[in-house]
Amino acid sequence: MIANNHEPHLWFITQEELRNWLESITDHATLIAPQNFDGIVLFKPTSDVNEIDWGNSRAAMSIKEAFFPPTEQLMVIKRRGAEVKVTEKLFKEKQVIFSARPCDARGMKVLDSVFITTEPEDSYYSKRRANTTLIGLTCQQMGATCFCTSMGGSPSNPDDMDIMLTAYNGGYLLQIVSEKGRELVTGVNLQPTTIAVEIEDEIGRAPTPQIGDWPPRFADDYWEELAERCLSCRICAYVCPTCRCFDVRDEALPNDDGWQQFERIRCWDSCTSEGYRRIAGGHNPRDTKAKRLKNRVFCKFYFYPQQYNPVACTGCGRCIDACPVNIDITELLQHLTEVVYANRA
Amino acid sequence: MLTEPKENPMLPYLGKLVSVKDLGTEIKFIGVELLNGGSEKFAHYHPGQFVFLSALGVGEAPFGIASTSDRGNILEFAIQRLGSVTTELHELSTGDTVGIRGPLGNWFPLDEFKHKNLIVIGGGIGGAPLRPVIQTVIDNREDFGHFTILWAARHPSLLVFTDEYDDWSAAPDTELHLTVDQPDATWDRNIGLITELIERVAPSPENAITITCGPPIMIHFVNKMLTEKFGFRPEQNFVTLEARMHCGIGKCGRCNLGEKLVCVDGPIFTMKEVGGFLESFI
Repeated sequence: MIANNHEPHLWFITQEELRNWLESITDHATLIAPQNFDGIVLFKPTSDVNEIDWGNSRAAMSIKEAFFPPTEQLMVIKRRGAEVKVTEKLFKEKQVIFSARPCDARGMKVLDSVFITTEPEDSYYSKRRANTTLIGLTCQQMGATCFCTSMGGSPSNPDDMDIMLTAYNGGYLLQIVSEKGRELVTGVNLQPTTIAVEIEDEIGRAPTPQIGDWPPRFADDYWEELAERCLSCRICAYVCPTCRCFDVRDEALPNDDGWQQFERIRCWDSCTSEGYRRIAGGHNPRDTKAKRLKNRVFCKFYFYPQQYNPVACTGCGRCIDACPVNIDITELLQHLTEVVYANRA
Repeated sequence: MLTEPKENPMLPYLGKLVSVKDLGTEIKFIGVELLNGGSEKFAHYHPGQFVFLSALGVGEAPFGIASTSDRGNILEFAIQRLGSVTTELHELSTGDTVGIRGPLGNWFPLDEFKHKNLIVIGGGIGGAPLRPVIQTVIDNREDFGHFTILWAARHPSLLVFTDEYDDWSAAPDTELHLTVDQPDATWDRNIGLITELIERVAPSPENAITITCGPPIMIHFVNKMLTEKFGFRPEQNFVTLEARMHCGIGKCGRCNLGEKLVCVDGPIFTMKEVGGFLESFI
């Protein structure tokens, strides 16, 4: 995936040239970039580079929604008497995400494992993924709740990007990571460089139990204790770059020329919601908050790795910031690790 | 890795209702013929597999296939009215269109059951995915050993496939036992729970396989009785589990049972497997 060995793959780009380049991107693709909305930084489409937030802060939501939108139309269903037409709605545009962070890009790799590499391929996600180019930005420093380094990531890891930028001397060092990235910089005024910027990876703040340490912790009373304050509000799943549970439903649309019209949509869902596992007869095997919270945590660190291979946490820390009752996933990992070590001793 | 999308697995085929009849109180039995492709995929499905049926414009839900591809190309489903999709499906009549995705999930390994004694245990609407097992055994009677069908429902009006009982009982070396726990005035068969019926029939674990489908609590107590009272090993007891799901293809995350997904790792498991999962199904 790394650019051709015969050419340098590290370049310097001035701030002005970067702005010009991003502006030119808006001619042929949707540019999605962090913008400050009343103090909350979010990745949103923009056609005006002046709207971009150039700061170091991590956006409140991840880039997940560009690939797996909160609500996505899957197909349109038309009915007229006994006649039925179903039309699939696949994403056709091109999009470029600017200022993606390594934890977010890692999140997409995690989601690739369920939506693309595990058969059958999810047409909706894979189309958006194929049509999107990631321009990453090295985090100058880890945020107060960041713990990517505990999850095998780093603030400067370019691996899951197409292009990686690192602020340097009033401009940016630019690394071409993939062919897609190479295509996107074609014609851009870049100066070759050999400068390397070392970003110090802060020591990971969360110890993490080994995969085999998880099953024995399933029966712990700790989950009951922790869940006492959980509100089942689901915000942890919505801000998470790797949570991918979804609901599918049909909704009515306005009639179209004598046809009744409906859309089949999928929308974000979360295993922490009360009736998530309830079945048709009313039976609910996950009938307590503790069971649901435990399921979400086990999914991240044990179930998901069993099912799709990667650990489903990138250490972005958003769930820590978002939780209204201060459930901190790093505290939880710390606690479980202590229990694991105590049991070994 | 990031290649052009293949066939869209969320897009349903269209099917036409070719038959609709009442199977019991709030239970309809529908026959579906595929309209726009998919026939190849459904040419050889297996007993125990399921599909997603769409009431187009209302939603889709998973249903066990109640027919066998050995008997023809009409797909049959027993549908109990419980939620919005099943309510809409109950409104449909012959000629109406439904969406259908599948066949999905694993199946009962009937080839491995050859020459074994089979005990099929169905509770209520849980009998639906067992019908293709019964039909396959009856159609290939010499391939299997003694065949016992234990069939239960809360009430006689909730017993499914009543007009097929004579055929089932008439098959060689086959016995059918019925029970309900709330009899009506005309009921002249067993009264009581399925576990009481099992106790009465007293099946032998020797060279035997059991296949159970019903509510989770029934599956739990049936397995408990078979293992504790009659000496079956959990690996002899096959079950088909129900879970709420939205995709059926291992994406939506809804149906996980610990580290397993009911949709792609199941819905058929042995009770040995179920007992090994981190999370309880009941």
